[in-house]
This record gives sequence, C-alpha cells and structure tokens, in this order.
Amino acid sequence: MKNIASRNIIALSSTALALPGIALADAPPTQSTLSYKLSNYQEDDLSRSEAPFGELDRYDIDVHQFQLVSPLGRNMSLHVDANYESLSGASPWFTSRGLDGKPIVNLSGASGISDRRSELSVGSRYYLQNGSVAGNIGYSEENDYRATYFGLNGERHFNNDLTTVSAGLSYSSDDIFPTDATEFNRVLEEDKQSTSLFVSVSQIINQLSSFQSALSFTEQSGFLSDPYKLRDIRPDDKTQIAWSNSYRRFFVSANAALHVNYRYYHDDFGISSHTSDLSWHQNLGRTFQFVPLLRYYNQSAADFFTNVDDFLTPTSEYQSSDYRLSSFGAVSGGFSLIADMGSWKASLTAERYLANDKYSAFDVSEPSTALVKYNRLSLGIDFRF
Amino acid sequence: MNPTPKRLSFKAMGSFCEIQLVDESRIRAKNVSKQLAGEVARLEQKYSRFRDDSFLSEINCSAGNKLGLAIDDETQALFDHALNCFEQSDGLFDITAGALNQIWDFRKALVPSQAQIDAALAHIGLNKISCKDSHIHLPRGMQIDFGGIVKEYAADSVARLARSLGVEHGLVNLGGDFSVIGPQPENKPWTVGISSPISESSIIAKIDLSKGGLASSGDYERFFMHEGKRYSHILNPMTGYPSAGLRAVSIAANLCSVAGSVATIAMLKNEAEAKVWLDDSGLGYVYMDSEGVIADAGLNSRELDET
Repeated sequence: MKNIASRNIIALSSTALALPGIALADAPPTQSTLSYKLSNYQEDDLSRSEAPFGELDRYDIDVHQFQLVSPLGRNMSLHVDANYESLSGASPWFTSRGLDGKPIVNLSGASGISDRRSELSVGSRYYLQNGSVAGNIGYSEENDYRATYFGLNGERHFNNDLTTVSAGLSYSSDDIFPTDATEFNRVLEEDKQSTSLFVSVSQIINQLSSFQSALSFTEQSGFLSDPYKLRDIRPDDKTQIAWSNSYRRFFVSANAALHVNYRYYHDDFGISSHTSDLSWHQNLGRTFQFVPLLRYYNQSAADFFTNVDDFLTPTSEYQSSDYRLSSFGAVSGGFSLIADMGSWKASLTAERYLANDKYSAFDVSEPSTALVKYNRLSLGIDFRF
Repeated sequence: MNPTPKRLSFKAMGSFCEIQLVDESRIRAKNVSKQLAGEVARLEQKYSRFRDDSFLSEINCSAGNKLGLAIDDETQALFDHALNCFEQSDGLFDITAGALNQIWDFRKALVPSQAQIDAALAHIGLNKISCKDSHIHLPRGMQIDFGGIVKEYAADSVARLARSLGVEHGLVNLGGDFSVIGPQPENKPWTVGISSPISESSIIAKIDLSKGGLASSGDYERFFMHEGKRYSHILNPMTGYPSAGLRAVSIAANLCSVAGSVATIAMLKNEAEAKVWLDDSGLGYVYMDSEGVIADAGLNSRELDET
C-alpha cells in the first residue's frame, strides 16, 4: 500500500517536472565557489619489533587543495583544481626474516624520503536541456614522477529527471624516473599508461531516497612495479574492474540522511576487495551537520605477493612484498562536522584507519608486517561569491 | 547586514499574491519582481476561465469540433499533468468537473436535484478527452478548467524564472500557493503561516520552508449548511456531491505543483482514505479533519503561541 502511494507521488512529480516553466534539467552554477582544504595524513610509526633495524618513521603527508568553480557565460562552468602535497618519512624498502623466523620490515633510507607533488587540472562543463558534457586536462609533477591526463564525460537525464545515465573515459600517461637510480641500481626511467571507462546510472526512488550504481574498467600498461623496493617485479599489464553502489535515504523525523555504499573490485593481479561504508548525516539546526562514518575494507592477496622477499628466485618471476598487495582487512571510523553559514562553509574531518591481516575475510597465508595505521585530519573552507 | 526583503503585492488569479525578494540592489529587486508579476499575468491571461479572450476559453469553445484545436507545448504539458492527477486519484481529480459548479450554487445554499446532477455527470470525465500530438479534441458539452493546477504551476514557474534572473533569496506566494526561489540570506528558511479553514485570519500552523513549495486546499469558508449537513465547494466528480472529508490540508513538496495536486486529491478522498494517502505520500503535511482536530507530520512546523 505504502509503495503504491509513493509511486503516485513520483508519477505526479514526473509530469509536474515536465511543465515548461519548471523544466530545466541541469543548471550551471550561478555563483563562484572558492575552496581550500588542508589535510594531514600521518601513518603510525613502526615498532622496533616490526622493524628491528633502521628507520621507524613512516609517511607524514600534508595536502593543500584549492578549487575554483565559476560560471562561464550562460551555459558553461569552469573548474580549476590545484593541489600541493609535501611528504616526508620512509616506506618499506624490503622485507626479510628475523632471527625468530618472522618477517620483518626494513624501511628505506637513513634519512627517509622527502618529496613534493604539485598538480593542476582545468576543466569545463557545458549544460544542455537534458544533461551536460564535460572535459578536463591535468598535469602532476614530483621530483621522480610526472603525469599528464585528460578526461571526457557526459550525463543525460531521462524519465523526467528521475533517472540519470552518465559515461566517461579518461587517459593518463605517466613517467617515472627514480632518484638516486644509479646509486641503488634502480631503473633509470620508465613509463606507464592508464585508460579508464565508466558508466553509471542513478535513480531517484522518491523524494526521500536515491540509488546509484556504477561500473568502471581500467587498463594499465607499462612499468607497474615499485622502483624503490629492492625486489619488486610485477606484470606489465593490469586490468581492473570496479562496481560501486550507493543508496541514500533521508529520514524526515530524524532530520538526517543515511548513506550506504558498497564497492567490489577485482584485478588480474589476483586482488579482489569489498568496501562497505555507512554514514549518518545528521542536521543540527540550520547551520550544522554532524556526520559519523564507519568503513570496512577487505581484500585478497595478489598472486605473486610474498611477505619475505626472496632474492634467490630469478628476476623473470613476479614478486612483491608491498603490503598493499597482501590479504588484509581494514576498519576506519571518523566524523565530519560541517558548518554552513550561507556564503561561508567550513568542515572538519577526523578519521582513524587500522589495517590488520586478522580483519581479512579472505585467506591469509602470508600476512604482511608492514600494514598501516593512520590518522587523517582535514580542515576545509568554501567561500561562495 | 542583510537587506530586508523587497515585497511586491498584487492581485492575480482571483487571489492575493506577494513576491518577496532579497537583493542588495533594491532597484534590481523591483525590476525583477515586475518581470515575475508579468509571468503570473501571462498565465492568468492564457488560462483564466473568466476571460472570454483566454486560450482556455478558446479550447472550451472548440468542444464538439471534429478537427480539434491545436495547442502549444505548455498547454499539452498542463493537460498531461492533469491527466496524470486524474489517473493517480482514480478519477477524483478531474479538470472537467466544472459542470458541477454550475448546478451547485453556494450563495443560494441549494442542493440540486439528482436529475440535475446526473445531467452534469454526463459531461464529466477527463478520459473522454483526447489530447495528444499538440491537438485537443473536446466532446460536445464538455469543458476543462486548469484552475486547480495553474496557480501552483505559476508559483513554480515564477520561482524558476527568478532563479534564472540571478535571484538567490526569495519567496513566491500566489494566494497561499508558495514556491521558494531560495532561502533567506544565511540559509534561513521562510516562515509560512497556514490559515484556519474556520477563520482565514487565524493561523493553525507556521511552517519553515527553505526550498520546494507548499500548497493548501480546504473548504475555507466556502461551504454551506443545508438541513444540518455541511456542503463544501470541493465537488466529487464521481458522485456529483461535495466531498465530505478533511476540512483543510497543506502539503510541502519539491514543487508547489506536486504539493497542490497531492493536497487537492487528499481533499477529494473521504477522511480515512485521505489520512492514509497523506501518510503514504512521504511528504510533509498538516491537516484539520472534520472534527476540527489538527495533525501534522514531516514539517518544520513551529509551536503556536497560546492565545
């Protein structure tokens, strides 16, 4: 009974939205928005039992993100994104077996790594009666890495705007030229290319709930190994598929919305993963919103993952001890507090992430000892003018 | 410091209308509100059933014409919405029900005879009208009246026009049909008062609106008592008699047009069905039932001061 009536309301909305004085599917922004966000990502240091020798400090990254979205004439918008990252710390260099036979991690470099990354991307969206088309180009540079990329996408509304179908493609060409290459016998210069395609459908179920499902394919080819690891040999091709789903529902009595997301991922390195997250967007008065978030991630290991580097196998065989290729699970929890004061908007986000092989639902024959725990804290400010 | 809203009041569609805009330039606000009032006037001129020169009168004059009458996209879209309302309400919301108005005389407070009612019902039924490919074919003796749709549509249309002219903060009120252009500065909602069906000068609820629209339907003083029975001006096209359900209902929705259609259908249903219809709609509402009991759900309604 309930569904029949709700369907009535959707049906009534469909013809109301088609009335010419009302119908205007997609609207370009009428105001400019300038945003700045500062994030600090800090991995917990390793303990002496995990890394008996050398460095214990892992990555500490500061990210500065600037964004400008501005109207461009009547039917277009301009998007400019600039990012700057500074990174310090050390990453796992190689793994070996300790005196007790358990794997231990050896972090890179006595003085660790220090790097900066700068990125600029410019894009535009053109709004049509029933949808929009957009394109962007970007460039990212750090002292050992360079990426040039572009993307094109479009979306179209159907069914009186209750259904939106979008599709897009992107391409990135990356160059890698490791520092101190000759000193540490690293590759001098390599490159890789990535091509991605996606399609997505979103459906407004009623005015309180919506659902979105998206499928993406990514094909990477070229040098996909980590040049800083003592032994890291991966295939030259990688095919990835991801299926993402999102459901949102607003609860009138609670003045809050529930967001439920699930993502499945698989690649031909042998990794499959499931990500589920739940967040509750609680409005507090007219100005504030409090958003607690909980996420569970879970992946299987790559076919060629090893938790102890084996330097005796021939280099023709694939091998990597990168913890990101191991079987593990991760839980993370956090919250955002958002204050919307009309032309100003501020947000604060804090998150704690814990990865552990014991959290994995997949088979863990070789647990990695280098799994990360991190804190992420970010502060953002938007100004509309 | 934010400027106070610029108000423009005028009379249109047989009602008191008011457009409130907040703009740093009061001259621009004035110019824009004139354009907006012009949009209301355009729709009134086109769809008024009281004007002989309206397009609606031309449509009604074409009744019985075998060739039909060519109509524009806007009229086609209004008809499609009216037909949708007819279908979703199982025939209760019917823009051809005007024939009943002619036999029910609320000033003289007389109940028509069953023969009069049967004669009127023979000319009612939106499903008897063909309207497609920009042509309408009205059978002889039938009439349509967009009165239950156009005012809400005009409110939404004016709000959209205002946004396209760059207005960010404003509220359109066309005789109690509200459409939000945008919230007040600093994201403050507009507060809308809902009149009591017993006395339009007293308020039964105050509702905060930040977006979308709000529409009301009720028997607002337009009923008569005959032999101890209350007859409202809301006529049921199935029975030919006034509906005897809720006294008044107000609905908030994403569009004033949707709110108006849902409210009208609620008024046409009997009281028990109307309450189920409202609960199941998922929309925010406030109503007064035949006992005078006021109930609301899903609205940002304010406590009223005890008086």
